[in-house]
Amino acid sequence: MTLKEKLNLLEEVLDVEKDSLGENTLLEEIEQWDSIAVISTIAMLDNVFGKEAEPEKVKNARTVKDILDLME
Amino acid sequence: MASGIIRDVDIKGIACAVPEQIINNEDYASVFGKENVQKFINLTGVKTRYVAKDEQCTSDLCYVAAKELMKKLEWEPSSIDALILITQTPDYAVPATACVLQHRLGLSEDCIAFDINLGCSAYVYGICTVSSILTAHGLNRALLLVGDTSNFGINQNDSATAMIFGDGGSATALERCDGKSFTYFLKTKGSGFRSIMVPAGHARTRGKQIQDESLYQLSMNGSEIFAFTITDVYKSIESFFEEYGIDRNDMDMFVFHQANLFILKNLARKLKIPMDKVPVSIDRYGNTSGESIPLTLVDVLGNEKSREPVKVFMCGFGVGLSWGGILMDIDRSVCLPMIYTSDYFKGDDS
Repeated sequence: MTLKEKLNLLEEVLDVEKDSLGENTLLEEIEQWDSIAVISTIAMLDNVFGKEAEPEKVKNARTVKDILDLME
Repeated sequence: MASGIIRDVDIKGIACAVPEQIINNEDYASVFGKENVQKFINLTGVKTRYVAKDEQCTSDLCYVAAKELMKKLEWEPSSIDALILITQTPDYAVPATACVLQHRLGLSEDCIAFDINLGCSAYVYGICTVSSILTAHGLNRALLLVGDTSNFGINQNDSATAMIFGDGGSATALERCDGKSFTYFLKTKGSGFRSIMVPAGHARTRGKQIQDESLYQLSMNGSEIFAFTITDVYKSIESFFEEYGIDRNDMDMFVFHQANLFILKNLARKLKIPMDKVPVSIDRYGNTSGESIPLTLVDVLGNEKSREPVKVFMCGFGVGLSWGGILMDIDRSVCLPMIYTSDYFKGDDS
């Protein structure tokens, strides 16, 4: 999956405008980044990338890049 | 894994009672904002819930369910050998509410009665415990009562808990029956005890002056519970199916604890089972804690007359953390239609 595809996937999960996120975007500046978004992100990491759920890692993420790193 | 086959016990009837007062989650728009409420409803699936008034306790709902069930089955009170209540909202700190219900239901003094403190996993633990008691003691009939009035004392400003729970009480009649059997597993992960918790108000905080009122209210860590479900619970179910050579395609229904719709969908996805085999009641009744499995059965089968068996896998998971599953064939006609009641016990002077 390309970087752009990963960003678009995260935009879909967070229900934000397409192409609105960059690697350096701070999660706390995204209005939709709340407890529900954390759960949706855990589900996406599990479903799309087969990553075992680690809620602390998602909660501790500061930037969009931190989430992208969890996709690896 | 604690698992096995329990033989010679059958479910003869299931009744569920919910309060008459219905709450519409859309009405919370003034508290949390319309958009946030809609987002919550979309994720959890909870549109309406039945909520008890302050005077109506879990025991009152279980009492009505038990009464109706005994009437339908024509079970004389004196024929019931055991009554086990599983709740996290008992009438009193002391004594066990099961003793009060033994008295109210007019059961014999030869009846075993006690409470168990479990929530989401209550039904599965209850069926296993009650069945074991019947077989181990050579007894014949038992009532398993499972219910909660989770909305009592909930933090109305916490969107995670204020809009999720429904109240209710169930009664399940179990009887010795040669040739019937069911397969089960039970598990516990106490390291997650803080994930769903009321931290203050009991012995651990004895003698401490706690100013923060929220510590007396239920707190839930949504992401931890979600992670627990799609990892620990999912893996246990897979191991259970494998250990007992269970083909999931043979199942008619997967009745899961109605934690929230998002969890149900993700658990079904992980297990590769179609959602049309996963009945959903949370949309209308909310998360009814331990009652959610019998309530979902009543919701689906409450008007069935056919005695044709239905192959059901039931799985409860949550607070504790505690979870378990049961695979059994149940008679389609065992469930009474849903009962709506505002009755409560007035014979108490306290």
